[in-house]
Amino acid sequence: MHKPTLLSAAFAIAAAAFSLPAHAGKTLDAVKARGQLVCGVNTSGPGFSNADSQGRWTGLDVDFCRAVAAAVLSDASKVKFVPLNSQQRFTSLQAGEIDVLSRNSTWTLTRDASLGVVFTGINYFDGQGFMVPKKLKIDSARKMNGATVCVQAGTTSEKNVADYFGANQLKYKPVVFDTAEAITSAFFAGRCQVYTTDMSDLAGARTKAPNADDYVILPQVISKEPLGPSVRRGDDEWFQIVRWTLYAMIDAEENGLTQANVDQQKTANKDPNVQRFLGVSEDTGKLLGLDKEWAYRVVKQVGNYGESFERNLGPKSPVGLPRGVNNLWTKGGLMYAPPIR
Amino acid sequence: MDQGRPDVRAADPLSEAAAPLGDAAWRARRRAERTRAWLVQGALALLLVAVVVGLAHNVAANLEARQIKSGFAFLRDPAGFNIGELLFEYTSSDSYLRAFAVGMANTLRVALCGIVLASVLGVAVGFMRLSRHPLVLRLGAAYVEVFRNIPLIIQLLAIYLLVTQLLPESSAALSAGGLALLSKEGLQVAVPQQGGLALLWALIAGAAAAVLGLHAARRWLDVGAGLVALASGFVAAAIAWVVAGFVLGWSQPVLDGFLISGGASLTPEFLSLWLGLSLFTSASIAELVRAGAEAVPAGQWHAALALGMTRGRAIAGVVFPQALRLAIPPLASQYMNLIKNSSLAVVIGYPDLVSIGNTSINQNGQALEVIVMVMAVYLSLNLAVAVVMGAVNRRVTRAPR
Repeated sequence: MHKPTLLSAAFAIAAAAFSLPAHAGKTLDAVKARGQLVCGVNTSGPGFSNADSQGRWTGLDVDFCRAVAAAVLSDASKVKFVPLNSQQRFTSLQAGEIDVLSRNSTWTLTRDASLGVVFTGINYFDGQGFMVPKKLKIDSARKMNGATVCVQAGTTSEKNVADYFGANQLKYKPVVFDTAEAITSAFFAGRCQVYTTDMSDLAGARTKAPNADDYVILPQVISKEPLGPSVRRGDDEWFQIVRWTLYAMIDAEENGLTQANVDQQKTANKDPNVQRFLGVSEDTGKLLGLDKEWAYRVVKQVGNYGESFERNLGPKSPVGLPRGVNNLWTKGGLMYAPPIR
Repeated sequence: MDQGRPDVRAADPLSEAAAPLGDAAWRARRRAERTRAWLVQGALALLLVAVVVGLAHNVAANLEARQIKSGFAFLRDPAGFNIGELLFEYTSSDSYLRAFAVGMANTLRVALCGIVLASVLGVAVGFMRLSRHPLVLRLGAAYVEVFRNIPLIIQLLAIYLLVTQLLPESSAALSAGGLALLSKEGLQVAVPQQGGLALLWALIAGAAAAVLGLHAARRWLDVGAGLVALASGFVAAAIAWVVAGFVLGWSQPVLDGFLISGGASLTPEFLSLWLGLSLFTSASIAELVRAGAEAVPAGQWHAALALGMTRGRAIAGVVFPQALRLAIPPLASQYMNLIKNSSLAVVIGYPDLVSIGNTSINQNGQALEVIVMVMAVYLSLNLAVAVVMGAVNRRVTRAPR
């Protein structure tokens, strides 16, 4: 009979059709061919990524996406922003729907080692805190026994708050929402006495309160939240580009290069570091698969790290955060980039 | 009846030609046919298995290639997050499996409460729409049109917004003689101390009353004895529970700092979801009841009224039992919809299965496994509803007309 052969052929076809492991692909080539960088950002994170009424995106994370586009595509505007909630973010990156995830995400061992993603660096040193209504007169996190706590689903905050209250033997009732908007509306309506998330998020949320002065952010910081961009595993070339774009922004600040002075510095400044950085003397871009002016364009089109910080999060912005630990290492902060050479 | 059907054997020229061996040849051919049928079925089944195995293998290979952790081993790891509403003991050091069980219990709780309330409201509104009183009739119609035509997610958000905006802070809670507190923390009611014991009393009393009620009702009612038994069971259980409260003492809700301790608590999230699901589903159930009642032939009405029955008696004794028969299959799908819709809990922060699943996905990144588990749970819940409602349907259709 011919049936067994037919059957085995069917098996073979099925096996061939369904078991080809998808190839990760060269992200750099894909981005260049597309002529656009697809960047995953926060749906609503004042100071990090926020779309205004005209759909223009602003924020520290948004600036970083633009910087990568400036380095790779020579045009900071060639970015498509994909707003993602905290649950979608890593799945979206894993599935290849975005090239870079730049969405104030905390770098942890579990995420780095088991999600198929890899963090490229830290663009904001954060920590988890608490916001409470002023009228409750809570001045310390330890006075929150029995409080109802609003927290966002699928964040490191959800675990940190369990650890913190557990360690201090305090009771609390979590109310978990899946978007930051749902939390802020429930919190400002008075459903929870406490809203906990990263300090920078709390400052952003406070700007959306009916009356910001009615709320106070407690000084206690209960966790380390190093926030940074991440990329898919398995494409080292792309990983290096994203990582060094971040370092370029930090190095630019250290070298005193700003959006305003970079053209003048390019010819006037004879410091070998600056000459190398701007691609005047050496071609550092070649090693990354880019051209020699990649870092120059980042500064020219987006600005250095400090400029981006001041614009989006700094004391003069609506969020109004002090530079704090996010200052350069030369100014008492933690921002430190390896040399571009 | 089959006189018009042609005889297959006689029409077969082969068996006619080999007349002496006819039966044996025919049987051999039948056997061959059957074998062939089995082989085709088997091959198809194998192909299906191959496709499923192939897909599973492909997924596993892709996850491996992308260095994404997979498998169900994570279920034994500590979950590390807390859950706001618990039907049984759970802490953040318990396993993911236990966290899922909590989520499933919360889903079941709101689904069961929702099914009961939606049925009661639905039947009541359905009868309102059969009323001859214009105000009652219009009210019923308005209820159905409002709750059926606004998307459930909008209703849930609106109810939740109303609950959280309008209710007072816990420090200024509305109190009903210390027996119940209503505030942004939800509804807290006094319950008997040793709740388990009180519940046991209530169950025993309820069951006894239901049996007695059934026996008594059967003597003078041909229909509706089951409903009488159910109602008397509930009433007896409630009385026994209250009596237990007075004997054992009450545990009253007391405000202590932020914490309201004592009593039983229903959170604003649960209340909003319960109410939202019940209102939305009851509008559809009301329409089923009305459709069922209007499908009962007019002759039944006339006959019942001609026999001197009151309108109410005719509805309860003649029309409703027949309407029920028509309404049960679509009712089952309304119940299933309610269970599935309960997954909208996530927008108002009620920790149901989907909410716990979402949190787990984010803590450990194993989206595929968690989603498969969540799907399996909803599928089993709805299959269980299908089985129960199928049994009820058989029971109702078997009853004498």
